[in-house]
Amino acid sequence: MPHSEHFSKQYDSDLEDVRSRVLQMGGVVEAQILAAIECFSSGDTERMTEVTDTELRVNAYEVDIDDLCVHIVARRQPAARDLRLIMGVSKAVTDLERMGDEAEKITRMARLIHERKGPQIPLQAEVRRSGDLAVAQLRHALDAMARLDPDEAERIISEDALIDTEFRGILRQLITFMMEDPRTISTALEIIWVAKAIERIGDHAKNIAEQVIYIVRGTDVRHTGKERRHGVADEEH
Amino acid sequence: MAEPKPALDTLPLKARASALDFYYGDFQALKKIDMPIYEKRVTALIGPSGCGKSTFLRCFNRMHDLYPGNRYVGEISLHPDNVNLLDKSVDPIEVRMRLSMVFQKPNPFPKTIFENVAYGLRVRGVNRRAVLEEKVEEALRAAALWNEVKDRLQDMAFNLSGGQQQRLCIARALATEPEILLFDEPTSALDPIATASIEELITELKQRVTILIVTHNMQQAARVSDFTAYMYIGELVEFGWTDDIFIKPKNPQTEAYITGRFG
Amino acid sequence: MARMARKDIGEIRGIIARAKRLDVIFGVVGVLALGLGLLTFATLFVDMALDGYSRLTPDFFTEFPSRHAERAGILSAWVGTTLVMLVTACVAVPLSVAAGIYLEEYAPRNWITDIIEINIANLAGVPSIIYGLLALGLFVYEFNLGQSILTAGLTLALLILPVVIVATREAIRSIPSHIREGAYALGATKWQVVQHHILPYSMGGIMTGVIIGMARAIGETAPIITIGALTFIAFLPASPVTGTFPFLSFEWLQSPFTVMPIQIFNWTSRPDPNFHANAAAAGFVLVLMTLIMNGLAIWLRYRIRRNIKW
Repeated sequence: MPHSEHFSKQYDSDLEDVRSRVLQMGGVVEAQILAAIECFSSGDTERMTEVTDTELRVNAYEVDIDDLCVHIVARRQPAARDLRLIMGVSKAVTDLERMGDEAEKITRMARLIHERKGPQIPLQAEVRRSGDLAVAQLRHALDAMARLDPDEAERIISEDALIDTEFRGILRQLITFMMEDPRTISTALEIIWVAKAIERIGDHAKNIAEQVIYIVRGTDVRHTGKERRHGVADEEH
Repeated sequence: MAEPKPALDTLPLKARASALDFYYGDFQALKKIDMPIYEKRVTALIGPSGCGKSTFLRCFNRMHDLYPGNRYVGEISLHPDNVNLLDKSVDPIEVRMRLSMVFQKPNPFPKTIFENVAYGLRVRGVNRRAVLEEKVEEALRAAALWNEVKDRLQDMAFNLSGGQQQRLCIARALATEPEILLFDEPTSALDPIATASIEELITELKQRVTILIVTHNMQQAARVSDFTAYMYIGELVEFGWTDDIFIKPKNPQTEAYITGRFG
Repeated sequence: MARMARKDIGEIRGIIARAKRLDVIFGVVGVLALGLGLLTFATLFVDMALDGYSRLTPDFFTEFPSRHAERAGILSAWVGTTLVMLVTACVAVPLSVAAGIYLEEYAPRNWITDIIEINIANLAGVPSIIYGLLALGLFVYEFNLGQSILTAGLTLALLILPVVIVATREAIRSIPSHIREGAYALGATKWQVVQHHILPYSMGGIMTGVIIGMARAIGETAPIITIGALTFIAFLPASPVTGTFPFLSFEWLQSPFTVMPIQIFNWTSRPDPNFHANAAAAGFVLVLMTLIMNGLAIWLRYRIRRNIKW
């Protein structure tokens, strides 16, 4: 988007800095989620501590980027697309940080599941597929943010439904396991937490995509149907 | 975005420039300006130096008539009576009696505070002391200056601070109950505190009068105005709600200007 | 920039010192130039005062001229000068102020105005004797005003007209345009702007111009001689104030007269050195009158400007 440059070179580099840090943070979160899902499949405790450590880095990123945004607002009074970039980025950062929290939740549940002796529930593959879908959504959202591509963002928003479907599928299967053997209930509940966390990660990816549309088009597409997403805000007034 | 914005065609119109051209001799300073001025709203004119925003403002009270060689084409209609302010048959003095102006540099007359505010009324033939006193007090109150000067109305106006002088000029302009108040970069000679007080005043004044303000300071336009017009080399590039102009301008030129980019 | 930074601080100090030396040199030259002018004047003034000191008695001011140097006074001369100046002021002030205001505020910008402006500038440079010739032809012979106080006053008024017009215009121009625009923006007409703003705010400058013009006129000799002022006069013009209704008389306007510079000229051209003392005393009085007028100009300007600021 920013083809032309500001008169202030410092302003340009400040904005660029914010954007690249968000993308870096996104990369860290993506790796963290992948690690968390890996933990869930393998029960590797070393990777579990790795996820928890990453969480600290993610939090630091969030504080850091928000601080940058506040500084830009205070010193430059950004307007128009610059203003939207700062607002959008600031919200996307919150989403990323929440994703990190969800990843940590997944590892916590994975630890409980793997430490428990007793009947296992063979749903690793389904949860993994759903997790991969969520990570893909996040990766696409970060791509859309990097390229400021609203069409890609729209695709992400519509594909969120897939993850929701996966989540409902896992839920149904878990119910059958629990009815067959009540001893699996504890484990099943923990898997529900994991699946729910994955579903939330998908939602956050969708939120980031929505911010991309806001940054580029100036249209707020949150809490709206598909038809409102196509840059129709101009007719609002 | 705090309150929903009404549709433009439902807003009462105070004035409208239609196909307005303006020439300084052979030089065309304004080109086909079409722009509405909505009643009891603040409309800000922004744009780089030499874009014609001050020239446009000074068409409204026919200040250009003071200097030879200036020429208007097109019209500025004043509502509700729909009179064309620029028409040859309309006396510029009549226009200036209906619209007031506040200038870039505070320009109180070297007279007392009282006489400064009363001057517009005196020109209109008001000389009864009681009437003058009442109107002067009202105008000074409206300009948020009364409490500071009520005990020294007979002091010379130039003893006031810069910000007070500018508020005095606003009181002077208000005393004659103008239909539109024109501000020509009213804070460019003031410090930030005085600027803030003038901006606050402008926001209050729109309860009683339609305001048109030229400003070099984009943030000022963003802070005080309901509508913003972006002008560039004599043309009106974009006009709209200030929120829209500053959050999602439609024209890339406007966007480049307000975000401080190379246009 | 980089080369600047690397420059040795001593070298920079050298440059500053050289530049400051020029400052000092000019300051000294300026003081010398000023001192030369002031000293010349002071010498003349003191010399005159010393030469005429013995004659500066009250009687000197109340006696008519006389063949006997020690009994001669300047009564008719200073009264004549005062009355001529009165006429000059009464004629020159309204004419030149009106002309100045017209040219600044009303005149359209065209070639006629340009020609008028060029001519005013030229008039200021015309030798005063030419004014005398003009007055002789016009006032004395054409209008039959005689060799009177009125003629002299009108002549000197003409002489200082360009000076006062220029001063008026300068005073008006010094009023910032935003003050003028402020008045117009409130709906004032041209005349209201002139009456309420232009005139009051430029009054200090105008008065200064008038007084400086008068100070020039008071010393003029050539045009007054040309129109035929008397050099020896032993009576006063009729009093302007009378005992009977309407208590004012303008008879004095037609009266013959003399003025200070003519009296001085007359005395200096006599062989008797006692008259030279008289001339020095009268010269001292004349310079004093000029100084007082200039002082008045400064005081007036200060008084009026104190209330005007923008």
